[in-house]
Amino acid sequence: MNSKFNFLMIFMLVILGSCTQNNSNRGNSLSYWSSSNNSEIEFSKILVKNWNLSHPNEKISYQPVPEGQSSEEIVLAAVVGKTTSDIYSNMWQGSVEFYAKANILIPLDTLDGFIEFLRLRCNEETILEVTSNDGHIYQIPWKINPIMTLYNNSIKDGLGIDEEPLSYNKFYEVAKQIKKDNNGDGYIDQWMGITSTKTVWYQRLFNFYPLYVAASDGMPLLADNKAAFNNEYAIQAFRFLQTIYKNDYFTKDQQAAGQDKFISQKVFSKFTGPWEIKYLDKFKPDNLNYNFTNIPVPENHKGPIYTYCDPKSIVIFNTCKNPQLAFEFIKTMVDNHGDSLFLALSQQLPRRKGIDTIVMYQEFFKNNPKLKVFAQQAKYIKGIDNCEVITEVLDIISQEYEACVLYNLKSPEKAIDDAEKAVNVLLRVKP
Amino acid sequence: MKKKGFKKRIFPYLMVSPYLIHLFLFIVFPVIFSLVLTFHKWNIISSMEYVGFDNFIRLFQDRLFLKAIINTIIFLLVHIPLQIVVALVLAYLLNKKIMMRGFFRAAFFLPVVISGVVVTILWQQLFAYDSGLLNKILMDMGAGKVGWLTNKNMAMTSIALMATWKNVGLYVILFLIGLQTVPQMYYEAADVEGASSWQKFWHITLPSINPTIFMVTILSTIGGFSLFIEPYVMTGGGPLNSTLSAMLYIYKQAFEYYHMGYSATLGVFFAMIIMLVVVIQKYTIENEK
Repeated sequence: MNSKFNFLMIFMLVILGSCTQNNSNRGNSLSYWSSSNNSEIEFSKILVKNWNLSHPNEKISYQPVPEGQSSEEIVLAAVVGKTTSDIYSNMWQGSVEFYAKANILIPLDTLDGFIEFLRLRCNEETILEVTSNDGHIYQIPWKINPIMTLYNNSIKDGLGIDEEPLSYNKFYEVAKQIKKDNNGDGYIDQWMGITSTKTVWYQRLFNFYPLYVAASDGMPLLADNKAAFNNEYAIQAFRFLQTIYKNDYFTKDQQAAGQDKFISQKVFSKFTGPWEIKYLDKFKPDNLNYNFTNIPVPENHKGPIYTYCDPKSIVIFNTCKNPQLAFEFIKTMVDNHGDSLFLALSQQLPRRKGIDTIVMYQEFFKNNPKLKVFAQQAKYIKGIDNCEVITEVLDIISQEYEACVLYNLKSPEKAIDDAEKAVNVLLRVKP
Repeated sequence: MKKKGFKKRIFPYLMVSPYLIHLFLFIVFPVIFSLVLTFHKWNIISSMEYVGFDNFIRLFQDRLFLKAIINTIIFLLVHIPLQIVVALVLAYLLNKKIMMRGFFRAAFFLPVVISGVVVTILWQQLFAYDSGLLNKILMDMGAGKVGWLTNKNMAMTSIALMATWKNVGLYVILFLIGLQTVPQMYYEAADVEGASSWQKFWHITLPSINPTIFMVTILSTIGGFSLFIEPYVMTGGGPLNSTLSAMLYIYKQAFEYYHMGYSATLGVFFAMIIMLVVVIQKYTIENEK
């Protein structure tokens, strides 16, 4: 009885003791989380190892973001539990404002040498884009994956992209020819393209939003705390997609890993990013050749064509005891050598000006010509608005997208108008 | 002596303490915290702001939540009767001495133990409009394609069909247990009286398994009200919010928009609806007895 009692007491003490907060990463040693993508893990391990060798008294402990449904949820849980790392390298640009408003992030512009560093890395347009509404900068633009039109080379002549950029009408013309009922059963089994039909907010970042950015030369969705997207460009983008679905140019099926319709050549194009290159080269049949071009634009569009770039940033959480040291480490991640290593390992583009012209990267792009198209596109990219309720804004647009584009229940004008009204209510009350 | 008495008194509490800790941390505390949250605005990472009854006022003006409740009721209206009838028929058949009875019992139970997400992804492929197996079969039979998940009038029914396939095995087992408790002598007496199979089923089997039917109805109702994984994975609540269940809406408010206070208000209100429905079911079934 006595030994049982003592055992239980010790057991309870061990359990309770294990519930204490981990404060091991304080002082001169810092902790760093990256995404759980294999190539980013490899990149981070190399960098941390190099740093620790040259800074034995200021070591960095590294781990990929803990496993969970999404890294966003894990980071949020860590913020609530005050168990975040000091540095995190995979925050979506749209999430930064949410954390910044809650004073969870270090305003990096208060660190020595930050502004000079940022000016060397990014152009004014990017700096303006990552500046929060309170005037501070809480993120270091790190990497981008610009969204472009992937196409099967067999439709290249029809698209006419050698002569000029891909336009809505050219897209329709080719789509009309591609759409086919191959087995004569009365149903289409070959389409021009595929894009997600789910109403989840982030799916609009891969269809409507790049089209809007392309048509409008990178106009924002919001301005002065009001919706700014009720314009001809958003309406044209909705109408373009509505026409596509009305004419069955795109399949409404969901994309599935088990049956990639682009690889099986049942669809001939899609809006996607550079991550597709690695995947296609691994799984595509020999007879499938592909390339990338701009996001379609209205006929009257002039000048360079912008696109959404799916930007991810590096941030320092306010639990960090030595933000200046964290910044010094981050500088090694994003200097020319860091970016070069990152590009080679991950095939994702660092967000730095002149990525397509810097001599150091030329050899890489020579060996990876498909990625060079994205590097050239990187001159004309747009992230997302700094707004703490941006996911709700995109969700509202998504609801209207579904009603107008997918189910043809509203005209593009009415849908965009309704979305504008709902977004303005949201921004006024900000629940 | 005194020390021994203290140990004797404290020991039982120590033995039940793991459960008590669990009960407090994961049930009592969240319930109390949710009630507190209903009067606050909170986005998880900022400090809470007291807003009085604002969340409740918003709830009664929220048309989308009303739609989500109606969707959930539509799901229940299709799912519960279908589940009970299919489970009862299967249990009735599997209670007879048929060939490979053990295999069939295991086969019908198998979907219950498969991950909900896996089942949902599998059915998403079956339901696909342009390349799904179900539409291929329909076309081979000369019928037209069905927008299983793309037609707003069909999507919730499709989800109910899938949920029935996934869960029916559990209820088959419950009905089997119920059927095996019906005394054989009732059937023997009915045979002597010359009762038909249908009469035996209607007048003996059904009344005898009434408690099982009650339990299955309650479990299906509570399970149905918790509808989440299927619309979350398959449709995201679409098309046109036709598969937006109440639980999915509450989840979205909490973990997509971080409206923790409003989400807690929806949760508390919805829990009250479930309690009310279960109480009504209980009294209805008991009165019928």
